[in-house]
Amino acid sequence: MTDLLAEYLPILIFLVIAVGLSAVMVAASMIIVPQKPDSEKVSAYECGFEAFNDSRGQFDVRFYLVAILFIIFDLEVAFLFPWAVSLGNIGIFGFWSMMVFLGVLTIGFVYEWRKGALEWE
Amino acid sequence: MGATSIPVMAPAAAEIFLAIAGMILLMAGVFRKSGSMAVVSWGAVVALILAAVLVLTHGGTSAEPVFFGMFSTGPFAQFAKLLVLAGSAIAIVMSLDYMKREGIDRFEFPVLVVLATLGMMMMVSANDLIGLYVGLELQSLSLYVIASIRRDSLRSTEAGLKYFVLGAISSGMLLYGSSMIYGFAGTTDFNGLAQVFSKLGDSGPAVGVIIGLVFVISGLAFKVSAVPFHMWTPDVYEGSPTPVTALFAIAPKVAAVALLLRVMIEPFGDLIAQWQQVIVLISIFSMVLGAFAAMVQTSIKRLMAYSSIGHMGFLLVGIAAGNESGVSGVLIYLFVYLFMNVGTFACILSMRQQGRYVEGIGDLSGLSKTHPMMAFALLIFLFSMAGIPPLAGFFGKWYVFMAAIESGLYALAIIGVLASVVGAFYYLRIIKIMYFDEADEPLDAEIGGEMRVVMLVTAAVTLLFFVLPAPIVATARAAASALMGG
Amino acid sequence: MYVAIVFLPALGALIAGTFRAQLGDRGSQLVTCGAMGLSMILGIVAFIDVALGGNTRTIELFDWISSGSMQASWALKFDTLTAVMVMVVTVVSTMVHVYSIGYMSHDPHKPRFMAYLSMFTFAMLMLVTADNLVQLFFGWEGVGLASYLLIGFWYHKPTANAAAIKAFVVNRVGDFGFALGIFGVYILFDTVSFDAIFAAAASKQEASITFLWWEANAITVLSILLFIGAMGKSAQLGLHTWLPDAMEGPTPVSALIHAATMVTAGVFMVARLSPLIEYSADALTVITFVGAATAFFAATVGLCQNDIKRVIAYSTCSQLGYMFFALGVSAYSAAIFHLMTHAFFKALLFLGAGSVIHAMSDEQDMRKMGGIWRKIPLTYSLMWIGSLALAGVPFFAGYYSKDLIIEAAFASGSAVGEFAFWMGITAAVLTAFYSWRLIIMTFHGKTRASDEVFSHVHESPKVMTIPLIVLAIGAIFSGWLGYDLFAGDARADFWGPALLVLEGHDTIEGAHHVPLWVKLCPIIAGVLGIGTAYWFYMLNPSIPGKLATTFRPIYLFLLNKWYFDELYDAVFVRPAMRIGRALWKGGDGAIIDGFGPDGISAVARVLAGRAGRLQTGYVYHYAFAMLIGVIGFVSWFVLV
Repeated sequence: MTDLLAEYLPILIFLVIAVGLSAVMVAASMIIVPQKPDSEKVSAYECGFEAFNDSRGQFDVRFYLVAILFIIFDLEVAFLFPWAVSLGNIGIFGFWSMMVFLGVLTIGFVYEWRKGALEWE
Repeated sequence: MGATSIPVMAPAAAEIFLAIAGMILLMAGVFRKSGSMAVVSWGAVVALILAAVLVLTHGGTSAEPVFFGMFSTGPFAQFAKLLVLAGSAIAIVMSLDYMKREGIDRFEFPVLVVLATLGMMMMVSANDLIGLYVGLELQSLSLYVIASIRRDSLRSTEAGLKYFVLGAISSGMLLYGSSMIYGFAGTTDFNGLAQVFSKLGDSGPAVGVIIGLVFVISGLAFKVSAVPFHMWTPDVYEGSPTPVTALFAIAPKVAAVALLLRVMIEPFGDLIAQWQQVIVLISIFSMVLGAFAAMVQTSIKRLMAYSSIGHMGFLLVGIAAGNESGVSGVLIYLFVYLFMNVGTFACILSMRQQGRYVEGIGDLSGLSKTHPMMAFALLIFLFSMAGIPPLAGFFGKWYVFMAAIESGLYALAIIGVLASVVGAFYYLRIIKIMYFDEADEPLDAEIGGEMRVVMLVTAAVTLLFFVLPAPIVATARAAASALMGG
Repeated sequence: MYVAIVFLPALGALIAGTFRAQLGDRGSQLVTCGAMGLSMILGIVAFIDVALGGNTRTIELFDWISSGSMQASWALKFDTLTAVMVMVVTVVSTMVHVYSIGYMSHDPHKPRFMAYLSMFTFAMLMLVTADNLVQLFFGWEGVGLASYLLIGFWYHKPTANAAAIKAFVVNRVGDFGFALGIFGVYILFDTVSFDAIFAAAASKQEASITFLWWEANAITVLSILLFIGAMGKSAQLGLHTWLPDAMEGPTPVSALIHAATMVTAGVFMVARLSPLIEYSADALTVITFVGAATAFFAATVGLCQNDIKRVIAYSTCSQLGYMFFALGVSAYSAAIFHLMTHAFFKALLFLGAGSVIHAMSDEQDMRKMGGIWRKIPLTYSLMWIGSLALAGVPFFAGYYSKDLIIEAAFASGSAVGEFAFWMGITAAVLTAFYSWRLIIMTFHGKTRASDEVFSHVHESPKVMTIPLIVLAIGAIFSGWLGYDLFAGDARADFWGPALLVLEGHDTIEGAHHVPLWVKLCPIIAGVLGIGTAYWFYMLNPSIPGKLATTFRPIYLFLLNKWYFDELYDAVFVRPAMRIGRALWKGGDGAIIDGFGPDGISAVARVLAGRAGRLQTGYVYHYAFAMLIGVIGFVSWFVLV
């Protein structure tokens, strides 16, 4: 049982550091920075939208497009980290698997580029 | 084979080829400035044909599953894949003219069909619940997009969105079921699952396994549009552009039925006592609903939706039988189904009034006078779907009902026969309209060359199947015995 | 090559039928005649190879039905029997095809006609090359269908339609027996393949079959059932009524289908099954009796008919009777021999009659003919040849085969054989009589045709007369050429295993050793008949009229064909109509429709409306239905 828990020790440390660091940052900004609140400043920040609004309101579809594209490459990176760490263990097959994966993603990227999905106007 | 060396690729040659071909076509399409639809379409057809050749040369042997037990081949998968490839290729060919006339000739359509086909082939070959899910999603995501390919039409986007939302629910069910099964059986590998279930004692499987099984069946039943998971079908069929409907009615159905069959027989073969009840129930619901609901339709595409629900019910009869003749019956039925449906949709796609596509059943009135050959072809398809001997459709039904009787499901077989009698009504109604009603506005005279060829070939196969059923029956039997033995 | 023989006509029919608009009249005629001609040449080559060379073979095309022990394949079996039939069918059919070009020259539907003819030929070839009973049945029904289509070819004539339906329905009676026979054979032998059946036949001699409480020898029952099929197709007494009416079809059809080939299918079938039927003496007795009775009956009716084609039709019926009693006394090769010679001279007679009809501007009534022999000398002489062959005048084809049959009947020594012998002799007299009655009434004397018709009489074009000449050559020489092979000492080698004659049944051998008076009888009969005809119609034309008034009942009896049609009408047709009407109005209309279709369809309509309304269009309804479904199934398992 203790062995099992010991395996999770790094995560505990990570959590402690994360909580501590963010607490320090919030506290520091409250203490050091001069506070002059007005209604714009205290409202929640939400990517340029009103935070509380009618959910049926329209917004530009381009936001959606960018978000989708972002998620794809976000996931790519999420896959790359563990791959990079364990490359030594998964050998040549692991290497080429990722290359094929990246190739496929690149094809998609080329497609969206050519289609003009990356241009705002 | 260790986890680090390059695995054997040959059994999946067709899939790998198709994936590469799909990407090349995408690039080709996006780098050509305009008018790339025809080029990409024919490229896609060629790719599908080459893939079929690869399936023929590489996919026939029942070797050990490759890719760490994810992917298996054999005569069964080969048979199903060939049907899927044929269905997709014909769907693309049939779409050319329509897409151009309707101004939606985007090159993405054939590319998406190729990718969906790839997904279907993965489904058919999946040997693991995870592999199954990946294939299924590749197929489904492509199809969601295809459904709403006419993006400035309200009905088409609605169809796509409905399909997507409901499809997501069904995927959720499938995943939930898979996780239950994994939790109780400890593996997702088909062979492993089969082993686990073969060692069960008299106490039977755990409740969790059964609940998981029900969820998996429900998720797959959505894909074959069996009642009560069928609700999307009529709306999507009606809303999508007609060539897309044709595709939906053919290739994904074949793949999903093959997949369902495989999942039921291979990993869960020893739980037949459990799943048989579910399959029997949804089979009955599908046959009955398909027969009754189709009667009041006025759009031929909606009618085809209910017709396909009914056909899925008949196919599920063969699956419910769960024996070797059931499997071969399902394969024969699928073969026949492919030809009947392709032919019917070729006819629907030739229905135009003054250049405009129409899809009301009433628009067919007087067809026998204006287009005698097309009316006759449609007559053959409809009679065949109604199961009138000696047309091909009769044999499909006959084989699955025989299988049901063989495994003692007499009530199911009787209900099936009754449902097919009721179903005959609406097929006959179309024939009556074609042959006995006066045309108020005749259809356009000209029919595309591709359509003529498709109609001729499918009509010939449907009409003459009884002359030479032996090769198909023998192949289906061999595939079935490979599946049951493996 | 063997495959081509059978499928060339099918190809011709398909092309001519499908592309009739594109090909036009000339094209379709060329295609079908070309295909037939090629098929004929190959057919003759096949005859030389198989029958004369002894190269029997079976060509498996592919499996057809494979269900448990029920195995049937498409296969072409070529043995001597088939080779003879193939040759006869292809030669006669080709001649008729060519002849039709001329005969049908005024018809607007030539391509359809040619396509039907070729389709018929294909079915007939399929029939004779069958290697199992199911394939035989396929061909059997195929020729029936073609016959139906061709009899009713002039579909705007009500009589033609009625005749076509009659032919179809009467044949159905026979086919019912045939089908039962096939089922029975399958039950008894567990196979439908000829070779397997014949191999097992000897061992099943004593097997019996039980139906309800009645037990009988299996082979006898099966043989008789199969023979009923043959009776229908070959128009034997009882099921013969369709044949004379079938003359409503165009004359080339009568020649090809209702004289030379299709009607002989029954004879062929019995001969083909000789290795089975030979084991049942009772069945053979029945066959002999029916055959002999038909021969006599049809000949008597032929005496009084006035339609030129009907006379020949009854003559065909009568000749088929000869063939059947030959089969019945185990003289199978004699029957096939007669089949072959008959095919030539009867096709000749029919086509000759067609030539006359053509010349007489479509007049078929002999009472309105006469005196035309100088105008159409070629047709006239060809009709003579045909009639001489039919009457069995020495050294024409019919002489060899018919004599052989009559002698074989005598040689069989049984009571029924003797009956057949005397019937055969009597029928021979009658045959000669009505043949010359036909010739004299048609060609001689003062003409009874209107001036307009008479002045139009002209010889037919070459395309019609050349086939006649070819057939005439056959009618003259086929008997003389074939005698040694079919009936002489070479016959054992010639037939090989195609026919089976048991020890002690060899009536052909017996036929060579009958007393002299028996040998002379048929010739005397022929001469007697011809002489009487001359006396009655040429020298002393008042006699027939006097005879008719003196023996009025008999005359009417014969004129009305023994009242068979009236009898059937009263016994079967009208009661069947009455029962049908009662069931239709009372049973079907009131009871079944009320509770059945009408009631169920009303319910179905309501249900359909409800089912349609389930489809609301709202996604959340759909999702709800799915969830209800899953929950339903899960609770089903958890609770049950």
